[in-house]
Amino acid sequence: MIRGGKNYVSSPPAFSNDTKRLLVCSGNAVSIFSTATGLLITSLEGHTALVTAVVVAPATISASKILCYCWTASLDGTIRYWDFSVPELIKTIDIKFPIYSMVIPSILSQPAENNEKPAKIFAYLSVEGTKEPEKQSKALCGQIRKCNLTDSRLVGGVTLAETKQPELITISSCGKYIGIRIKRKLHIWKVPSADSDRTMAKKITLRHTKNMTVTAFHPTQRILAAGDVTGRILIWRGYGNRTFARGDGGRSVNNEEERPGVRGNDDADCCTTWHWHAAEVNTLFFSSDGAYLYSGGKEGVLVVWQLDTGKKKFLPRIGSPLLYFTDSPDPSLSSISCADNQIHLLKMPSMEILKSISGIKLPCSFPETYKGLCSGVAFDHNAGLIALRTENYSIQLYSLFDDRGISEVQVCERNHHPGDDVTVVVTLVTLSLDGSMMITTEVKLAEEGLGGLVCLKFWALGSDNRKFSLSTVVYEPHRDAGISSIAFHPTRCMAVSSSYGGDFKTWVCNNGIQRRDQVLTSSRWTCHAVASYKKKPMTAATFSYDGSVLAVAAETVITLWDPDKNVLVAVIGETLTPIVSLSFVGKSEYLVSASWGSKPQLSVWSLSKLSISWSYRLHVEAIASAADLSLFAALVFLPKSSKSSESNETIFRGRDGVILIFNAADPVPSATWLVNKAKGGALAFLQVNQSSVEENMFDGKPLGSLLAYINGDHEYILFEPHGKEANELGTIKQEAVPDLEEAGKFGYASIYGELPESNLKRTQTSAVVPFVPSEKLLETMFSGSSHNLPPLTKLCSAFLESLLEKRITVSD
Amino acid sequence: MADQHQQNTTISKAFPVKPKLKPKPRTPSKSPESKYWSSFKSHQIQNLISSIPSIAFSPVPSSHLFAAANSASLTFFSSQTFSPTSSISSFSDVVSSCSFRSDGSLIAASDLSGLVQVFDVKTRTPLRRLRSHTRPARFVKYPVHDKLHLVSGGDDTVVKYWDVAGESVVLDLLGHKDYVRCGDCSPVNAEMFVTGSYDHTVKLWDVRVESKKSVIEVNHGKPIEDVMFLPSGGMIATAGGNTVKIWDLIGGGKMVHSLESHNKTVTSICVGKIMGQENGEETIQYRIMSVGLDGYMKVFDYAKMKVTHSMRFPAPLMSVGVSQDCMARAIGTSNGIIFGGKRKMKENEEKSELRDFLGLGSVEEPQRRILRPTYFRYFHRSQGEKPNEGDYLIMRPKKVKFAEHDKLLKKFRHKEALVSALTGKNPENVVAVMEELVARRKLLKCVSNLDEEELGLLLGFLHKYSTMPRHSGLLMGLTRKVLEMRADDIRGSDALKGHIRNLKRSVEEEIRIQESLQEIQGIISPLLRIAGRR
Repeated sequence: MIRGGKNYVSSPPAFSNDTKRLLVCSGNAVSIFSTATGLLITSLEGHTALVTAVVVAPATISASKILCYCWTASLDGTIRYWDFSVPELIKTIDIKFPIYSMVIPSILSQPAENNEKPAKIFAYLSVEGTKEPEKQSKALCGQIRKCNLTDSRLVGGVTLAETKQPELITISSCGKYIGIRIKRKLHIWKVPSADSDRTMAKKITLRHTKNMTVTAFHPTQRILAAGDVTGRILIWRGYGNRTFARGDGGRSVNNEEERPGVRGNDDADCCTTWHWHAAEVNTLFFSSDGAYLYSGGKEGVLVVWQLDTGKKKFLPRIGSPLLYFTDSPDPSLSSISCADNQIHLLKMPSMEILKSISGIKLPCSFPETYKGLCSGVAFDHNAGLIALRTENYSIQLYSLFDDRGISEVQVCERNHHPGDDVTVVVTLVTLSLDGSMMITTEVKLAEEGLGGLVCLKFWALGSDNRKFSLSTVVYEPHRDAGISSIAFHPTRCMAVSSSYGGDFKTWVCNNGIQRRDQVLTSSRWTCHAVASYKKKPMTAATFSYDGSVLAVAAETVITLWDPDKNVLVAVIGETLTPIVSLSFVGKSEYLVSASWGSKPQLSVWSLSKLSISWSYRLHVEAIASAADLSLFAALVFLPKSSKSSESNETIFRGRDGVILIFNAADPVPSATWLVNKAKGGALAFLQVNQSSVEENMFDGKPLGSLLAYINGDHEYILFEPHGKEANELGTIKQEAVPDLEEAGKFGYASIYGELPESNLKRTQTSAVVPFVPSEKLLETMFSGSSHNLPPLTKLCSAFLESLLEKRITVSD
Repeated sequence: MADQHQQNTTISKAFPVKPKLKPKPRTPSKSPESKYWSSFKSHQIQNLISSIPSIAFSPVPSSHLFAAANSASLTFFSSQTFSPTSSISSFSDVVSSCSFRSDGSLIAASDLSGLVQVFDVKTRTPLRRLRSHTRPARFVKYPVHDKLHLVSGGDDTVVKYWDVAGESVVLDLLGHKDYVRCGDCSPVNAEMFVTGSYDHTVKLWDVRVESKKSVIEVNHGKPIEDVMFLPSGGMIATAGGNTVKIWDLIGGGKMVHSLESHNKTVTSICVGKIMGQENGEETIQYRIMSVGLDGYMKVFDYAKMKVTHSMRFPAPLMSVGVSQDCMARAIGTSNGIIFGGKRKMKENEEKSELRDFLGLGSVEEPQRRILRPTYFRYFHRSQGEKPNEGDYLIMRPKKVKFAEHDKLLKKFRHKEALVSALTGKNPENVVAVMEELVARRKLLKCVSNLDEEELGLLLGFLHKYSTMPRHSGLLMGLTRKVLEMRADDIRGSDALKGHIRNLKRSVEEEIRIQESLQEIQGIISPLLRIAGRR
């Protein structure tokens, strides 16, 4: 089981005290990267939900710089204390509320009295208090709470604020002030210097006319900066003079009249506004000496403001919206986190990028009209690679086994500006079976009917360097119609592209014109044949395992063709709604189709009988079939409506997808897993080749083939779909998918009955009914349309046997 | 390491706006030899009256001279400038053939009155008049290694071997049964020559043979138009009909290869040379160049037995000649045009030639001065050093070159970018800029912002290119939008109205073309259907 594809930019990272390591929140773990090489060193695993905050305990004296302790907070409601050099979990504090943000002011303000017993450490948490019933009614679920980390308990009765949603807490670098922003207001608390359970923090509020997005505190002076959604940066000077001054030792309250820019009765001396950003400001940060302010937003430009003069310097063309800016104890190093899952390490005064830590590219947003045209990802089944489309018109090749990016291919040579409206979309990507060829399609959206363009590009992998180079470009391959799918021939240099315009084309690659005295390396793709079926839009296409049959879905029917002679062999169908994906099941005689729409359907067709074999009314997001077996896996997306009933709610609990593994001849799934974020997900069977077997031993046994599942957020997991023994299967299930339920709570248990332990074995050895029917079966068995039901012979025997003998598992 | 560094520092790349790729021709790119033959810079000599039956280059390369027979005159041209230098017109009839003597100082010419004359090239005075042919003389040739004799042949089927000094016929060689049209003298032997005749035969003659009979006779199968010795002297090439055949004389007149790449009669052949350099040594490769009435010039590599280059001319070709150093080429046509071709000389070649000319073949290189810090060059020393095999190269990142419209697009000055592309010459760039503007959703805004003059520019562009199939997808739609949006401005200006008239005309023409194409399609598609049924 391999997991990866984590989002590195969900929360701000943190530098270690010696600045040699960068702690990055990545899903349920904290990954520790070396700042020198940009490579992963180790990770802190233990949280069971998303880690939302990591705070490194700062070194108070220079000798303790080697100390490597950090606090982490997570949505699973625990705060953990780690020694990340080892790495080792030291302490766990369970506060039972999902924590969205955590700051620990008291470890930042250096205790002067070293010889005394250490003061208690308090953390301020932004939690979601859903557990309390009265909170739910008020719809104020976010709370700012205080937690005594030394005694590992939540301080009772101290709730600083209640908000609609959990907010992000910002802390000043000296640890004196903390603040949150709620829409158009900023709330700032002064942390008591001698913190204890009882002391309450003093609070002021600053107001603005726009929703604010981010705040930052000046390290030494009482200056506060905040960015809003329109791109303005507000700077309040001398905030809290009236409220906080008394504690500090008495500064005269300023004259009421001279407070330019400050709204109403807000407690600040003056407020100035800077405006450069065109879109919302995402990150604000004061430099450690307080002379500069760093700001960044959606444009992907880091702006450095000289605080006194307002002069600007820029680091342009980062290429992606900036999310966080983090500085390190070493003033010459800092990091910026970008929305494309990259963290750049900056050499500070010159703002030069030293290293980049890049994760898997996150799914990108596309205009609504082209959502249907975009198929997510392509797999290289042998090498374990996945090809993902990225926002800047390129394809990222990501190794699933190594969890790192291999290369990027710039599909269209265009300048990408983050934040522009999308007008060019890379819609499809396909890799050939051996991974040496790639096809991409891109669509240029028209401006009022002008200048739209569909473009098909063929790429070939260079022999020496692992880089794809452009081989052939075809403009408007199907005139102006969009391309619905592309597929490679499994063995030869042949591909098919089907279009909504009602035709499909087969393409062949001829390796140039062979000449005796000249070696021609360039190959070109040319159209081999065009065909259409009753002018119907062609919605999906695929080749059979040996490439002798080409199946193309013409909306609701499936047409079978001889790809060489371009002759229609047979037509089978039809389904209720247009088919969106097709797949041959290994070397068997079955063909799987999935159709979406109002009446989604998963159908299995028998090619020998040229008729439907069985079908389900399920919304199938992706189909994957194993190369040599007659198995296929389907990723089923469960829409909200199907989860409405009370009993299902407890089973699914936020999960919206199911992976089902079917034997093509048998409508009963042989295995089931519940998964998260199935919308936009993908599935594939990966072949594990010998070279990578050593690294991927599972329980001491080499893996056969792995099932890869990548969800809508591009987090992926590889696991073995069919373990040899049933209980091993069970353990894989529990370990493999983080979201798995305990045994016996599968979502489909209610429909198909509980899967027996030796399910798979028995289905293979004997034709005995492979499930023990439960009570539910009798209710649901005969409801539904007839073609959705298993064949009557099977149902009948199941029905009768369920009445006669219920202990079939035990007897076996 | 350097590569990685580069990758890290450049996060987001900048791309200039590029036009769509053009489809490449199916034929592979030019072979080096093809490049060589097409590297001749072409010149046309046009003001001649009738067809050019013969072209002869002077065997002395430094004279840069060639002679072309044209009507009843013989014109000399410089092979460097292709301008006529002088002309001999003391002929009573049409000149049929001409031939330089091996030292280039004399030229012999035959005309259709049967007269063969010998001229001094410099003074152009007729030195000898050789009259013996009773019918038109068709060819005359100086032997390569002999300055005293001449070979000629004519329609009286007699081949004559002349003593030039005495204006007398040494030998009358009888044997051909039809007009003798061509002949060539052996490059290795002063006494042997071949002649070709319309009786389909080529005969090899040796003047030392007492019996006055041909030594070897080969039958080409078609009336012979031209015959020549290949440089080795052991083989001949004959042209007749639309074939060129190569014969091995030493092997007793066996045919080696028959080349059938012309579609019409091959009229003339000659030997071309490729001067190449291999491993520092100069190599010369010989080719057969043939021209025909089909207007093609073909270059044939008789070592590999294949055509290596082919070139089309817009007229039936009558004669071909290549200079001795293969720097110049001249092809005569039937309508009085000479297609000259001159290869660019490399600089060092030119220099060495100059040096030869000045007689300073062995000038010593000036001794290199030792660099001292007082010299400016001292500070640039060893900067031009070439990297060694094992050196690690750190590449400087390539700078992207931006055109004017790219720079304007980068500054978001969209209208200016469009106008700058329109004022440029390249329509591909204009379309590329328009596509980029579409991607930025700014094209229509730009159109609405154009002032009258710029609108005229745009309409002129649309008139020219909107019916081109490559761009019509975008431009036809744009034309409609422009007319809709700017109708008022167009009505107000006469210049714009003129553009619109032009546009209308080109669109109407396009519609006519499409209609006629549809008619053709209507004719063809039933035929295809019938053909498919069988």
